Amino acid sequence: MKFGYIAGTALAAAIAAPAAQADKLDDIVASGTLRCAVVLDFPPMGSRDADNNPIGFDVDYCNDLAAALGVEAEIVETPFPDRIPALVSGRVDVGVASTSDTLERAKTAGFTVPYFAFTNVVLTREDTGIDGYDSLATHTVGSVAGTYEGIALDDDITKWDQGGSFRPYQSQADVFLALSQGQIDATVVTSTVASSIVAGGKYEGLTIAGDAPYLPDYVGLIALRQEYGLLNYLDLFINQQVRTGRYQELYEEWVGGDAPDLTVDKVYR
Amino acid sequence: MGNYTFQWRQALRALPDMLDGALVTMQIAILSMLIGITIAVFLAVARNSKSRWLRAPATAWVELARNTPALFQIYMAHFGLGSFGIYLSPYVALLAGIAFNNAGYLCETFRGSLRAIPDTQIRAGRSLGMSAPKAFRLIVMPQMFRIAFLPTMNQMVWAILMTSLGVTVGMSTDLTGVTQDLNARSFRTFEFFALAAVIYYLITKAVMLAARLLAWRLFRY
Repeated sequence: MKFGYIAGTALAAAIAAPAAQADKLDDIVASGTLRCAVVLDFPPMGSRDADNNPIGFDVDYCNDLAAALGVEAEIVETPFPDRIPALVSGRVDVGVASTSDTLERAKTAGFTVPYFAFTNVVLTREDTGIDGYDSLATHTVGSVAGTYEGIALDDDITKWDQGGSFRPYQSQADVFLALSQGQIDATVVTSTVASSIVAGGKYEGLTIAGDAPYLPDYVGLIALRQEYGLLNYLDLFINQQVRTGRYQELYEEWVGGDAPDLTVDKVYR
Repeated sequence: MGNYTFQWRQALRALPDMLDGALVTMQIAILSMLIGITIAVFLAVARNSKSRWLRAPATAWVELARNTPALFQIYMAHFGLGSFGIYLSPYVALLAGIAFNNAGYLCETFRGSLRAIPDTQIRAGRSLGMSAPKAFRLIVMPQMFRIAFLPTMNQMVWAILMTSLGVTVGMSTDLTGVTQDLNARSFRTFEFFALAAVIYYLITKAVMLAARLLAWRLFRY
């Protein structure tokens, strides 16, 4: 009887032990669902169609990832500032959310290799007379708080010190509203978003006034910093997307033209 | 929170910036209270008046201020007026939104306080040869403020907390604005938010303590 009890306990422990070691990747596969944080006011990366369904590059990327994992994709709309709380609170598994891989953020979140690269342009109204990045120095400008381009623009306005000011908004939609109303005279956004907004025709009189002289903004997928299993899988997935031509295919569909290079010369990663 | 390790050192290093933000928060709260109290006195008098032309707009103000969210009021001050070509900076829009809200709530506080003061007080003043406005100013208003003092301080606490809604209209220099910016740069959300919560708590506690001390000094018989 006693032997049976010990054997039973040992068997139970043996079954329970591997389960206790399961990592996020196992959890996703086991649950059958991949929950992706996607920003849905950032076209063409993420937005909603006429029927309110999520669409965009990031949405398709999440769907591809879910298909590779053999699970269902679930798009969780997440505004820019909420990406880390969404991960940490377990509301999402992965952030497919155009997240710039700054070293400051990498202390907190786990970044993959870049899955997309942005260049930035100046978006303004036709009536402001702004004809390039340097002429922003004397204007009121705005951007989404804490984004790569927002931080760079804020820093330059402070550095120039010529009477311009910077306003951070909580969402890309608020920035475009403020710009179209005249609350701000210009913003710096990724070229993809700018083209999409100008072509979209929702806001009249917006125009692109040249490039912003920033380094390319490489963005990675994000997951919890300690989830190496998942992060490794995501790195390989990004590599496969490029290798198979799927990256180019998605780029053509949502942006058009040749997809940007995701590697930096003379250095790994 | 099993997925998150707190890194307090980084948050504490940003404490001076957050305290600067807290000063801006206090500045807006105090200004919005001064404006709110001034408007509320007029609104309270108007709501008690016999003229419909005075009563109706004052009632409309109070109804709107008390029955719509403060977030909506601030958002309308920035983006709503913006669509009519009236541009308020985030600072002014936040101030206007909170002052509007304060005036609505304080009006009802003052009106209740006015009702608590017997009409005979005015008549007593008039019988001493005062004009009606003078009797109101010297006899009724001091008593009104005595009754309304602590509820007014409650509104002050509410005003301090309402400043946090400024982030929705691009306010970046108050405590919440500074906190959001630090959060977006580093993603250390919970440390920064916890620190901000502690600062808000200490400010509002300090305000209430000061109010109690002041009430004890001013209003003892």
